[in-house]
Amino acid sequence: MENKQPDSFLGMQLDYDGGNILRETVRWSRFLSIVGFIALALFLLAFGLAGSTLLATFSRVIPAIEGLAELGTALVVIGLLVIFAIFGFLVFMLYRFSVLTRQGIEHQDQVAFAKGMQCLHTYFVVAGIVAFLSLLSNLLSLTKLFNA
Amino acid sequence: MEDQQTPLQVNDLDNFFNLAFDESTRANVRKAALWARICALCAFIGYGVVLIVAFFGRQGYLPDSEEGARINSMVRTTSVVTVLITAAIGVFINYVLYRFATATVRGMDAMDNISTNEGFNQLRRYFRIYGILLIIVLSFVVLGFLYAVISGVGSGA
Repeated sequence: MENKQPDSFLGMQLDYDGGNILRETVRWSRFLSIVGFIALALFLLAFGLAGSTLLATFSRVIPAIEGLAELGTALVVIGLLVIFAIFGFLVFMLYRFSVLTRQGIEHQDQVAFAKGMQCLHTYFVVAGIVAFLSLLSNLLSLTKLFNA
Repeated sequence: MEDQQTPLQVNDLDNFFNLAFDESTRANVRKAALWARICALCAFIGYGVVLIVAFFGRQGYLPDSEEGARINSMVRTTSVVTVLITAAIGVFINYVLYRFATATVRGMDAMDNISTNEGFNQLRRYFRIYGILLIIVLSFVVLGFLYAVISGVGSGA
């Protein structure tokens, strides 16, 4: 049976300063995640109640949306749901990071602390992929600029 | 009697002493920092692209006329200023994220508490800046909502 106790003694410990810094970090990240949940819920509610009106309004401002709308309402709805799901997952990971890390620090719970750090990892993986995709989208706008 | 009570008192310094960055936690924090660096670098390049598009992009909204040219020029100036402000804030936020990534990776590799704390301090700043910006945005939303309600009541009366 594997015993991980020696690693805990020989490895890095979370010191007093680190604990305080992490406490404040999770406080802000929890605030951000709760606001994120509320914002996502409001967006979902708005699209559920007045989706077609909102799409028509936005298509006047952003012509690309009009092109998307021509593909079919179902496709646009699926696309929006995928975006909501990605951002929902991102916000959920941030929330889990804040809750688990706080629980780990306050109860000196190593398992919760490790899970919190795992959630931080997942959060930045998803955020990194989203950032990379938005960079590709930006580069696409650059190629359109030079082709125009 | 006081000597007997001392061990029962909880010392803040000892509170975190049972928490360790074991091997898997260190690996997770290191990978998080690496992906955070990717986020920051993508954002830096993205803001560069947005600035290029804002400065050199064609933005002829209205047909050629004196009035149209004036409005086009005004819209262009406004959009360039908006992009400049957004890019400045975004670059600053992502620079903080980049510093988190750099310091944390260094701390995890060298098992150095000072660098790790410095890294988490940058992460704290990163979330705090986002939080403050969010509070400002929400304040404007609430003010706009109140203005809409008040003007609606005013026009109805």
